[in-house]
Amino acid sequence: MSDLYAIKLTVNGAVVEREVEGRLLLSDFLRHELCLTGTHVGCEHGVCGACTILFDGQPVRSCLMFAVQANRHEIRTVEGLGTMEHLHPLQEAFHEKHGLQCGFCTPGILMTMIPFVESHHNPTHEEIREALAGNICRCTGYEFIVDAVQLATQKMHAGMKIAEASIANAIQEKR
Amino acid sequence: MFLSIPERNKKKGNGMNLEGEHIFNGPREEVWAMFYDPNVLASALPGTQSLNLVDNNTYEGAMFVRVGPVSGAFTGKLVISDDVPPESCTLTVDGKGAPGFAKGVGHVKFADMGDGKTHMTYDGEVQIGGMLASVGQRMLDSVSKSMIKTAFESLDKALQERVAAKAEGRAAEYKPPTETEFAAAVAKDMGKSVFEIAEVRMVLYVVPIAIILAILGYFFWR
Amino acid sequence: MSTKVIGQRIKRNEDPQLLTGQALFTDDVQLSGMVHAAFLRSDHAHAMIKSIDTSVAKKRPGVLAVYTAEDFGDYWHVGPLQVPPPLAIPGAVFNARPLPPIAKDKVRFSGEPLAVVIAESRYIAEDALADILVELEPLKAITNLEKALEPGAPLLHDDLGTNLAADVRQEHGNYAEASAKADVVIKRRFHIDRGAAAAMENRGFVVDWDKRSRQMNVWSNCQAPIPLRNTIAANLGLTASQVRVITPFVGGGFGPKIMTSQAEDVLLPWIAMRLERPIKWIEDRRENFLATTSERDQIHDVEIALTKDGKILGFSDTFYHNTGAYDPYGMTVPLNTHTHTTGSYDIANFFTRVIMVFTNTMIVTPVRGAGRMYGVYIMERMLDIAAKQLKLSPVEIRQRNLIQSNQFPYKTGIIGQDFVENILDSGNYPATLQKAVEMIEYDKFVKEEQPRLRAEGKKVGIGVVCFVEGTAVGPYEGARVNVDGTGKVTVVTGISSQGQGHFTSFAQLVAEQVGVKVGDVRVITGDTGHFHWGAGTFASRGATVAGNAIYTAATKVRNKALDLASKVLETPLEELEIEDGVVRVADIPQKSISLGELATRANPMRGTIDPNMEPGLEATAFYGPPHGATGQGAVAMIVDVDPETYAVKIKRFVIVHDCGTVINPLILDGQIQGGVSMGIGNSYYEQIIYDGHGQVMNASLMDYLLPLSTDMPLKMELGHISTPSPLNPLGAKGVGEAGAIPTPAAFAQAMENALADEKIEILQSPLSQSIMWQMVQEKRK
Repeated sequence: MSDLYAIKLTVNGAVVEREVEGRLLLSDFLRHELCLTGTHVGCEHGVCGACTILFDGQPVRSCLMFAVQANRHEIRTVEGLGTMEHLHPLQEAFHEKHGLQCGFCTPGILMTMIPFVESHHNPTHEEIREALAGNICRCTGYEFIVDAVQLATQKMHAGMKIAEASIANAIQEKR
Repeated sequence: MFLSIPERNKKKGNGMNLEGEHIFNGPREEVWAMFYDPNVLASALPGTQSLNLVDNNTYEGAMFVRVGPVSGAFTGKLVISDDVPPESCTLTVDGKGAPGFAKGVGHVKFADMGDGKTHMTYDGEVQIGGMLASVGQRMLDSVSKSMIKTAFESLDKALQERVAAKAEGRAAEYKPPTETEFAAAVAKDMGKSVFEIAEVRMVLYVVPIAIILAILGYFFWR
Repeated sequence: MSTKVIGQRIKRNEDPQLLTGQALFTDDVQLSGMVHAAFLRSDHAHAMIKSIDTSVAKKRPGVLAVYTAEDFGDYWHVGPLQVPPPLAIPGAVFNARPLPPIAKDKVRFSGEPLAVVIAESRYIAEDALADILVELEPLKAITNLEKALEPGAPLLHDDLGTNLAADVRQEHGNYAEASAKADVVIKRRFHIDRGAAAAMENRGFVVDWDKRSRQMNVWSNCQAPIPLRNTIAANLGLTASQVRVITPFVGGGFGPKIMTSQAEDVLLPWIAMRLERPIKWIEDRRENFLATTSERDQIHDVEIALTKDGKILGFSDTFYHNTGAYDPYGMTVPLNTHTHTTGSYDIANFFTRVIMVFTNTMIVTPVRGAGRMYGVYIMERMLDIAAKQLKLSPVEIRQRNLIQSNQFPYKTGIIGQDFVENILDSGNYPATLQKAVEMIEYDKFVKEEQPRLRAEGKKVGIGVVCFVEGTAVGPYEGARVNVDGTGKVTVVTGISSQGQGHFTSFAQLVAEQVGVKVGDVRVITGDTGHFHWGAGTFASRGATVAGNAIYTAATKVRNKALDLASKVLETPLEELEIEDGVVRVADIPQKSISLGELATRANPMRGTIDPNMEPGLEATAFYGPPHGATGQGAVAMIVDVDPETYAVKIKRFVIVHDCGTVINPLILDGQIQGGVSMGIGNSYYEQIIYDGHGQVMNASLMDYLLPLSTDMPLKMELGHISTPSPLNPLGAKGVGEAGAIPTPAAFAQAMENALADEKIEILQSPLSQSIMWQMVQEKRK
């Protein structure tokens, strides 16, 4: 057993403190130490993208990082998106468009696409495919994933428009 | 790597073929003797942890090898046979370790070039297995060719030192390159050959276009 | 048949769990006291085992035990064969060499397990692998199918005296006579190389032996949980009821997860009983390439005999098939080739012979498409070559040979993987081809667009092919449907599920009959604790074979509910209807009783019951087809090839398919699209490379290229035709492998067409940019 290192990080909004081996992969830490098993491991060498999480808001491969590297950083996993009762708009769009089959690659794809759907209002299919090209899905052939991502951007954008409009209304009423 | 299937079946041994040549700046006898000096050979390849001449024709040693994502300790044997000093010999290498194994047979010839230089030619086949093959293969062909070339350059230096020391009547000192220097030399050498692959050529078309687009994008969207 | 729910495009029940990371996969199982296994695998493809020294490994802190074949004593045994030999075919030669769970004395493929370490963590277990000292004496390895049969070739199984695994010939009509009468006879040789199933989730196995209850629980992502339970119990001398195999959510199967009697399922249960600790083994990606079975390695010598107007008189195919180092899965793959070669065409004289060969490579078992793809590939390629020679269009030559609708059931005279004659049950083959041709606007492309694009220097080409997909083979599957006091429905079936949407499509079948909401039907698949009859998920049979069992069981439950309601409501049966979980009198809706109430009444706790009454609103049913149902379709595609790099853009992709009755069109579309993506991988990206010494050269996803979102066409244009199968109550046919089967053939035709001025002839699969470049360079020489 090699030396243990104390780490403190934020995972899905909660502060976590643990002692870990230096060689413990971040993916294994999340899955086995924190029991956040929604993050899946498909290839252990950073190609398939199934283990993608948000690291300080950016999508990264958790199988290519050590847990100690996450010390004092903020992590978001698929468990930090919506719940089964209240899906995140991106999750809802995947449900709507049949953007998943076996669902093993799905959490990684969702986490990869979260910053994308947040920053793109009406992307083309080509742009979505480029953004997806680092994640492998063996089941779907990607077409319904692309459709789902596009639907999500539309929904989220529309949602923002509604929110903006209601804020504007509220301000008007106040006046 | 993606040879068409009938082509691949035509290939003889189906291992990795190595062939090449090198000109040593020294007399043939001196070059020959150098190959029987464990200190010299050890100096040519960094990562060598031990190398001993256990009998007239057999080396045993341990070495740390790094090929792309695959690395680990190897132990092995090098046998020199069919030797016709100082003209030719056959080298048989057999090494194994946690990352896999490598076995090879090579035929080496030394020709006196008449001007105090020696022309060495070699050809052989190496068979690899384990992680070295299944994961390291993508790098191995080019890494090994570059390692050989870099090793010869080290041997060149050793030969100079050997010849100079002999002239000066002192013992030769061999300074192996550090692993970093060696890796840098290998990496530099490898950069040359990849452009011959069709997929890489495509990337070469894409990259400039992408850069142009990025520049355009920068100005448009600011 | 009323179709309120069946045929609806319904969103999947299972999605919310999967989308939120709440679905349990095998590697998510955490048990207290659980330890971890890692396998030491042979670096050599062919070697004698001299010694394996585990003493150092055993001393490493955290290591509980290390085992080699010797340590298992009498427990070590080979096999059994998972698929029996094809005794139904006269004259068939089959040399059974089942799989040893761990190598003893000899290693026959690179990746074969030599030792297993059990440790407190996977990290420690892998450290300990490096502590094991193995001395192997390498033998010459053989990987070439033809050379393996030459005298003096290294032998894999010395006792056999040959590397011949099987030799099976079948003939319908008389090919020799047909070819003697033919105007044209064309001969070609085809090479088809290997690909991986490459499910995103690698294999996994968790075993927990409870000494006090004498019960073993196993979590495995196996496609055949019931056979797995049966072999584990038999191996250990337990009754089958003492072993429960649970297949939780599975991250894709695509074939190889059907395998049992491998290292993990034979050895780990035995070890778990001895160590009295739960054990987990999760395969890593490199192991998935070295230790999981794969498929597609054949050489075909083909002849086609035709009249000068393009009518096929006969077809002959003699092929070598690589079975790898052992043949535990019998001849399923090459027999699929036998039944899929004549495919969609009416061919009176057909000869097919497989010579199955042992080589020092991974064992070959079905991968999505399973042998069908080669049959379709060689037939379609030969039709392309014949069409060129006879100056016919690829569409014309196909139209002239298709089986017509009035010819069904069409007897092929060839025995298939289910050991009965392959009979094509139904279909409208000319219609699928016609629809594909129309959808892709074949004539317009050939006459207008292609010449215009070629004039611009573009290399664009079109391909159109037909295919059949034999599906839904026997023996049988079963299901039990139950309505409980809450009025909710549970359906259990023996097959396991790997992402095909069974939790929704099966729920639809039940909802339709029992009259409840789809969301109120809980589907349990692949848990032997719930249901223990059935064979497994393979050969595109789940929705059809298990589906019909479920549909029949649900119908029984419906009738049971109506019978009981008729008594309770004192109303004749024919006046009752079930809707939204309530049985009511059609004319007097307020006169009603809920299914939950009926379920409670059907299970009285006191009093007496009628002599023949079976309690509960519950029924079990089984379905076994007389032979498989055959789906059919056509694919048309347009490619745009970069003349420098041979990078390919698939500009259009059309697939028209007939799988009979459709249960859920949304899921159907997904199944077809997924199959196509594997077909595109098999066409141009995926190839497992073995060197001549039996080493896999690309055992990572860096080098084994799976299709990415950017490799796929922007849109797959799907066309459906529905000819219900007369074989089953639902009228369904399977569809899971459809897209993977025809795509390489269509791709080859389109590539040849795009590069027409290079005059290349494509006789191999898969292709790649490098292969295309090479092929063109050779032709130009």
